[in-house]
Amino acid sequence: MNTHRLADAWLVLVLAMAFGASLAAVHAALKPRIDANKLNDTMSQVPMLVPGATRGERLVVADAPLYRAVDAAGMLVGWVVPASGQGFADRIEVLVGLDARAHRLTGLYVLDQKETPGLGDNVTREGWRTQFVGKPTDPPLQVRKGTAQAPHEIEAVTGATISSESVTAIVNAAVRRLREQLAAGTLR
Amino acid sequence: MDRHLPTPAERFIRGILPENPVLRQVLGICPTLAVTNTMEGAITMAGAVLFVLTCANVLVSLLRPLLKPHLRILVFTLTIATFVTIADRFLAAYMYDMSKQLGPYIPLIIVNCIIIARCEVCGSKQSVPAAFLDAVGQSLGFALALGAIATVREVLGFGTWFGRWLGIRLLPATLSDRVWAPWTVMILPPGAFLTLALLLGAVNWAGARLQKAEVSR
Amino acid sequence: MNYLATVLMLAIATALINNMVFHFFVGCCPFIGVSRKLDMAFGMGAAVTFVVSIAALLSWTFTYFILAPGAPLTTWLWRLLRPGSTAVVDLSILNYLVYIFVIAWAVQLVEMYVRKFFPALYKAFGVFLPLITTNCVILFTCLEIMKHVGPVPGSVPDPWGLDKALIYALFAGIGFLLAIVIMAGLREELEHCDVPASLRGPGITLVIAGILALAFLGFTGMDSSLARRLVPTAAPAAAPSAASAERPS
Repeated sequence: MNTHRLADAWLVLVLAMAFGASLAAVHAALKPRIDANKLNDTMSQVPMLVPGATRGERLVVADAPLYRAVDAAGMLVGWVVPASGQGFADRIEVLVGLDARAHRLTGLYVLDQKETPGLGDNVTREGWRTQFVGKPTDPPLQVRKGTAQAPHEIEAVTGATISSESVTAIVNAAVRRLREQLAAGTLR
Repeated sequence: MDRHLPTPAERFIRGILPENPVLRQVLGICPTLAVTNTMEGAITMAGAVLFVLTCANVLVSLLRPLLKPHLRILVFTLTIATFVTIADRFLAAYMYDMSKQLGPYIPLIIVNCIIIARCEVCGSKQSVPAAFLDAVGQSLGFALALGAIATVREVLGFGTWFGRWLGIRLLPATLSDRVWAPWTVMILPPGAFLTLALLLGAVNWAGARLQKAEVSR
Repeated sequence: MNYLATVLMLAIATALINNMVFHFFVGCCPFIGVSRKLDMAFGMGAAVTFVVSIAALLSWTFTYFILAPGAPLTTWLWRLLRPGSTAVVDLSILNYLVYIFVIAWAVQLVEMYVRKFFPALYKAFGVFLPLITTNCVILFTCLEIMKHVGPVPGSVPDPWGLDKALIYALFAGIGFLLAIVIMAGLREELEHCDVPASLRGPGITLVIAGILALAFLGFTGMDSSLARRLVPTAAPAAAPSAASAERPS
């Protein structure tokens, strides 16, 4: 009975091997390209997020990735911190650009979000994000409905206060993380 | 079912409208609803289904004399899962944006009823040309249904058509903000359900009319 | 408290806000096909919830220990064969193949087990078990969990332990159960209505689904507001990358 079953299954086994081999070939051929695509997703943003930077170097600090932004000569000009948190609808993933000593924000980019189209997803708009550029990192940023009055205030997107607050809180957390790591001397 | 199996040409024609997988057989609803808020998503999904369905159907047809009835579903699943993985990796390597947008819906092609149904109905019974044309016909039918829904949703929801690839806008950007606000609900889930429902209704209505006309003639 | 709040938020987000049917559109085939009678719909939903939890347990374990890049078991085996090698072993190309077979196998196992030990339960939803292999909800849940499994620190943005994976799967199933039961209840009432001929069957079901999806949109944002009430200090950014700031190494 047993051998009979095995004889029946030979086709499945042969197919499994053939498919396994072809998948291995596909994997070997495409993996470098896929990895490059994934890394490029962040890396291509680095020069936009930190002025003067030409490329980023990926580090893993305290189990979380972090990018050193360096200029053409390889000198440190700033940091790019990937951060995420709960938004209004789902998680929001952002990249936060900071200067070398984490005193000022230099840029903000939203990698991924599923906020309400037409309202919350306006946080991805350039016009809103540029508010963050040049903001001091101390005290933490705060969202204000209407016009910002103090340097640490961010104007909320009309009709999407929660999305705006979420992004701001994520930015604050990212800043805090980088500052603590810089103070602890784990980064240089 | 049919006493004699349809010819390859019949298979091809049937797939497009008379036996359209989405509109007539109501199969593969999940991708139909999920990826149709832009034309780009719809066309990429249809392309992936075309690739997987054609490869799987032709391979199953080639292996037809060797298939054992009780192992047949296992062979189908193995074949489909392999080709889906290949399609998924290919998209991630060469169309990274689309791969990110479609996300889990590409691997979900594995459990798409259209493909396993075609392998069962056509691939495992008919010759390679019939299986090939059947796959292409069914995929074209699928693309037609997805394209129809995506056209309605993208035009009403964003005011564009192939907005990212071709950048076609129905109204100039300066005008459209003032004259006409996009219907955000169309790109949200409810819009997908309602568009498909109305499209199914329209197809059924047209089908009934045609039948009535034929009977009276 | 913080952990409980996270669990509660994940549960609400999965079952209500990002409902499998009304937000992700997965499981539409049984949602349309098996929602004519309330008891059948409940049986289907219960069977899916049951199987999805088991599939999540298996797929998390397989992904974490064997499939993901740098998985401990595979790496250990590789080092045994090739001492001194430092390459990261990555079997993730096999993910989809493994998942679909894990699901098929889990369904068979559950069916045999339930038939033998819980005949009453088997009578309630046994007939739906074979259908579940090709249910998108199960594979979708496995894929969603896959995105959150990374044995190598820093390789995925929001790593989940087995506990979170199981909670996610359980509430994904419950969300599906909820959707299909609501739909069946409505469709039973619909029997007495005069539906236009061309919309009968899938057509009117999809119209109702559209209206229900609109209603479920109302849950959006509930989890983040709740989180603010429950954990006032953590605000909305209970991010893992932010949480790791608490313990700089």
